[in-house]
Amino acid sequence: MAKTQKVRVRQGLGERAMGRIFLAPSFAFMAVIALFPVFYAIGRSLYDIRGFHQEFTGLDNYLRVLSDSGFFNAVWNTLVFTVASVSLEFVIGMVFALIMHQAFVGRGVTRAVILIPWVIPTAVAAQVWRYMFDRNPGFVNSVLGTDINWLRDPTWSMVGVISADVWKTAPFVALLLLAGLQTIPRDYYEAAKVDGAGALQRFWTITLPLLRPAIVVALLFRTVDALRMFDFAYIFTGYSNSLATLSVYAQRYLIRDPDLGYANALSTVTFVIVMIVGLAFISRLGRHMVGDVAGKEK
Amino acid sequence: MPVLPRQKRYALRACAAGLTALSLTLATACGEPPGEEGQTDGGESAGLAEDPQFVWAVTGADRAIHEDVARLWNENNPDQQVEVFFLAPTADEQRQAMFQDLQNQAGEFDVLGLDVIWTGEFADYGYIEPLEDLRGEVEGVSLEGAIDSAQWQQELYALPYSSNGAFLYYRTDLIDEPPTTWEELYETGMEAAEEEGISAYVGQGDQYEGFVVNYLEMFWSADGELFDQAQEQSTFLEGDAATTALDFMTEAYESGFYADGFDSMVEDDARALFQAGEAVYMRNWPYAIPLLEGEEGEESAVAGNFAVAPLPTFTGEGTTSALGGLNNAVSSLSGNKELAREFVLWAATDPEAQGILAEHSLPPTMLSIYDEVDDPDFEMLGEILTEAHARPPVPGYNSLSLAIQDNLHPAFRGQEEAGPALDAVNKAADNALTQE
Repeated sequence: MAKTQKVRVRQGLGERAMGRIFLAPSFAFMAVIALFPVFYAIGRSLYDIRGFHQEFTGLDNYLRVLSDSGFFNAVWNTLVFTVASVSLEFVIGMVFALIMHQAFVGRGVTRAVILIPWVIPTAVAAQVWRYMFDRNPGFVNSVLGTDINWLRDPTWSMVGVISADVWKTAPFVALLLLAGLQTIPRDYYEAAKVDGAGALQRFWTITLPLLRPAIVVALLFRTVDALRMFDFAYIFTGYSNSLATLSVYAQRYLIRDPDLGYANALSTVTFVIVMIVGLAFISRLGRHMVGDVAGKEK
Repeated sequence: MPVLPRQKRYALRACAAGLTALSLTLATACGEPPGEEGQTDGGESAGLAEDPQFVWAVTGADRAIHEDVARLWNENNPDQQVEVFFLAPTADEQRQAMFQDLQNQAGEFDVLGLDVIWTGEFADYGYIEPLEDLRGEVEGVSLEGAIDSAQWQQELYALPYSSNGAFLYYRTDLIDEPPTTWEELYETGMEAAEEEGISAYVGQGDQYEGFVVNYLEMFWSADGELFDQAQEQSTFLEGDAATTALDFMTEAYESGFYADGFDSMVEDDARALFQAGEAVYMRNWPYAIPLLEGEEGEESAVAGNFAVAPLPTFTGEGTTSALGGLNNAVSSLSGNKELAREFVLWAATDPEAQGILAEHSLPPTMLSIYDEVDDPDFEMLGEILTEAHARPPVPGYNSLSLAIQDNLHPAFRGQEEAGPALDAVNKAADNALTQE
């Protein structure tokens, strides 16, 4: 009797067990909507699917990915786009955030104005930019006084897509960084000022280190997003090799030239690449972040 | 997604919808744009029949025309009514919706309105029923090019329904006689453009299917053929048609014969420029005529100052247009194949049904209709269509089309060498016949 009662008590108080039970429904939900499709897609990627005819071909689709120059072209485009757009967005977003953080007349309006590009749906923004870059009527060219083929020249179209994306997403980075800036106590700056630290020194030794968590989050979001970029590239140049990103390339085999097994293999590879980059980010930069917090708590 | 009165299939359909939702989730997880798949949601039933016996899936473009055709059938066959399911107006989304219906074994559609270039793909995938035994009914009755576009490996898999062909639009105030050769077109166009300070030529130069069509029209007009008679191997590089066409385009691009932005121009961009009086010549489909005339509240700088002619060739003889339009096929999942076949045949060969298309200025495929209509442009279109080329509806047409875009578009812009680009297209053409 006593024994069973003891067990019962322990069961009743088992916080971990209770936690698991409460988490089970949401975990099951996640598994169904997130994990199942991933494994389903991986399964499909092992088949050669042509309409009602399908055949198990093992890793053939993946071997084909590795020998597909179109795929490597897409990887290259994606990397160029990601590195360039994320760095520019970070720098410009940081400047925006610092401006918005200052107390000045019309600060509320400035914040709202800066955020406008980010609120516009990407597909709509891409159409507008495409129209502006188009040589007819040649809006961008006439503003810059140039005669550049923004949509079809491989180099310039990449420049165009990157600038459009920076215009669109720098405000988002700014917003994240601004939230971070607002958590830094003013006292630090005042103390530093009293000690005679200049503006630049205050930025390097106070703002940047304390902003680290926000920076990590902003960079992680943007990098992962940029690696999956579809809208701008597809709307600017369709399936053209000069701008096709990994997502555009996978979509090509999903919709335009349906080869479902291969499309799934491409999607899986894209997924893995994004996953690796995401995890690398979290483990490299995120650990410091967690470490800092832990250190403070001690 | 409307639920058609088919209890039995509802369960299957629900499964299919579930799967679609899942693949959408995955697509999002893997960086695909949400909403690109599962576009059946964009479609809808027309609600024409109370107790429909079968369903016709067709493009949502030109809705009123297809509805009228279906109404006519329903009046004539009150016990065997058809319901129209309108798909999205864009080709890729239509095909995607039909693929989904078939691949998921939902089988809601009995008759499929297929773009002329899809026959081989759908036939090869086992999606549609052979209709070879109906060949006698359409031979000599329908446009030859349209019949060509409905067959794969010399077997009919669909029957013609609607068609489309290209006109050369020209400015009557600048050009006296429409040119008969591409060289003449180039010279007269350049001259008039220089005098007027406008562009010589607009057309479909963006990297998409329209570019393929524009290129192939030049290729065919230099006596080129993509495949041999039996569709067993590529003949793309036989003769010099491929080079002639590409050289003309490269030269025209370099010398400014094409309007600025030609390389990112689609149908309506070209139409807008021509309509504003900014070009001497335009290659476009017949839809532009009423707009250029300034009808339907359009503003047009060229109203009354333009005319249409057949596209020129390199030899100066005949004309070549790529053939557009739809063929109707019977889904292999249809539960009512006999009725579906009857409808497909009726839509191809009934003078009244085909007449409805003509009334709405959608080019029909039935030859006799063109003799009855009293409109010189329409008669000319009839002549153009009898000489029109079908893009070969081989199973790998999509890959071939993409290969032409990938290779010849940079080549005509002078960014890649012509030789390797043409070789790559030739290889893609060979592959398109077998698809592994």
